[in-house]
Amino acid sequence: MPQREFEITIGADGSVEVHVKGYKGKSCSEAVKLFEQIAGEIRSEQKTSEFYEPEEQVQFRIDQRH
Amino acid sequence: MGACLILAPVVIAAWPAFSAAVVAAASSLGYQVASEAAKSGHKAATGAPAVVNLEIPRSEVVTGKLGRDQRISVSREGITVVFSRDARGVASLCVTGQGHAEEELRALGEQLSQAVVQEYVHQKLKDEMRARGFVVVEEETTAERAIHMKVRHWEG
Repeated sequence: MPQREFEITIGADGSVEVHVKGYKGKSCSEAVKLFEQIAGEIRSEQKTSEFYEPEEQVQFRIDQRH
Repeated sequence: MGACLILAPVVIAAWPAFSAAVVAAASSLGYQVASEAAKSGHKAATGAPAVVNLEIPRSEVVTGKLGRDQRISVSREGITVVFSRDARGVASLCVTGQGHAEEELRALGEQLSQAVVQEYVHQKLKDEMRARGFVVVEEETTAERAIHMKVRHWEG
């Protein structure tokens, strides 16, 4: 089962640092937007290698029976 | 991981949520709630105590007509801090204390103000994450008073 995780540190001054894990590509951008909506203005953003990985796709194979 | 973000907190809260954050933050720093009432006002002690006015940056306290003049007052060792919203809706605080230097009051006010923002953001993040199906799997407060938490969601 895929797992998505946020590691959040709220500093004594209220600043928020978030490590986004388990999100790739577009879904990662959506997670970033979510935190912008909840917590505040983004001061810095650093994308990691996982961001550039292709999003998971589910493939189905249909076999025809004769 | 996919990204690492640093955010400057924005406080947009209704008065009940804001005052709850004030109470929690003040209690954690050893303050006691002196009063919470509309138009409670602030009585200056005799002998012209030092007064410092501060505001919480990037804050907006949303309130209806009835709550326009709400204030909450906390105190500790002769220092009184009154939180209110100003005419623009910005959360502000007035720190007074007999026999205390202005710099000391400013530092205490800023510490309390930051603790309120931290408490507000902490509660909001927890609520929003839970609403989205995340579970808080770890939470701790460090010696530097930072709150560290890990929230997780299992897909499928």
